[in-house]
Amino acid sequence: MSHHLALFWIMLRAALLSTTGTGNLPIVHQDLLSRGWATDRQFAEALAIGQISPGPTGLWVISLGYFVGGLPGAALTLIAIALPPLLVLVLVHGLYRRIGHHPATHGFVRGLALAVAGVFVVVLTGIMNTAGWNPTNVMITLGAIALGATRRVPVFVVLAVAAIAGIALF
Amino acid sequence: MKCGWIDRVSPWRLFWIWAVIGAQSFGGGAATLYLIRRETVERQRWLTDDDFSRYWGICQIAPGINILGLVSVIGWRLARAPGALLSVCGLLLPSAGITVGLTSMYASVREVPVVRAAIAGVVPATVGLGLLLAFTMVRPLLRSARSDGRASTLVAVMLLLVSTIVAARARTPVPAILWCAGAVSAVAQWQLEPRQRPPR
Repeated sequence: MSHHLALFWIMLRAALLSTTGTGNLPIVHQDLLSRGWATDRQFAEALAIGQISPGPTGLWVISLGYFVGGLPGAALTLIAIALPPLLVLVLVHGLYRRIGHHPATHGFVRGLALAVAGVFVVVLTGIMNTAGWNPTNVMITLGAIALGATRRVPVFVVLAVAAIAGIALF
Repeated sequence: MKCGWIDRVSPWRLFWIWAVIGAQSFGGGAATLYLIRRETVERQRWLTDDDFSRYWGICQIAPGINILGLVSVIGWRLARAPGALLSVCGLLLPSAGITVGLTSMYASVREVPVVRAAIAGVVPATVGLGLLLAFTMVRPLLRSARSDGRASTLVAVMLLLVSTIVAARARTPVPAILWCAGAVSAVAQWQLEPRQRPPR
């Protein structure tokens, strides 16, 4: 039970301290890996499932919550990501009128987003370290970038091609 | 024309609309945002184009998933607190249910050799798509920094590099990295903006 509560708190804190559906990833990654509750492989799996699920970007954490704490873990994670966005109502009905057009606000959002991207790359490198930097893996990574960059190939097709490549090569 | 609070909408109707959008939008945020805009601005005419852009702008500085923030603002405007709550639930529940279903199906076959081989291929592909995502996040930020001037561009590039290096080298808590970068950028922008932009 305390395990589940801790999971709920980790997910809630990460969503409160970041913005967008992937901004919480580096925080969750650090918190769960340091406790030994999740592995890099599970992060990659959760991200892949999140990519093929419908809905907004950011539902990958629900998949991760399932890996860590089963169905209760997924349900608690769902509640944890549903609450922070409601704080936007405070912004709309007060704060934003005063701070919204201040240059420091734009600066803050930009700095936060840049750091998220930077830390995100470090997390991805960690996942790749676990998987191994062998030629096959690097080829699949580059192939996914090439297919994704065309913007014409749906994400689930990219992942399906990678899965078939995995079955053929590993 | 400002439509104000008069034209109230049933919160359950909102729940249903978001549920349908949530379950049918594959491909992440951009697809969901497009469907929300089409429904609220073009079909139902609940919001003007300006309202929509302003709300979306505010959601950029709100915590958590931005699109959930957006539907909660729209829900509040059309049906107050029940509208906001049911809007968030509506967008989340069907799509989260599908996510849980996929995860539990996957968890039951996770150790089957064929699945293990398939996932060994999917993991590097996920890394590739993640790198692409990081690139698409950074590009508009650097572009807007460049339009602000040289000093802003330098600050943005430094923040990107320093946060990456700190995250890779030191055991620093990630929230500290994110918020320090935000604070530095806020101060820099505050100090630089009046000098870089000629008064209008």
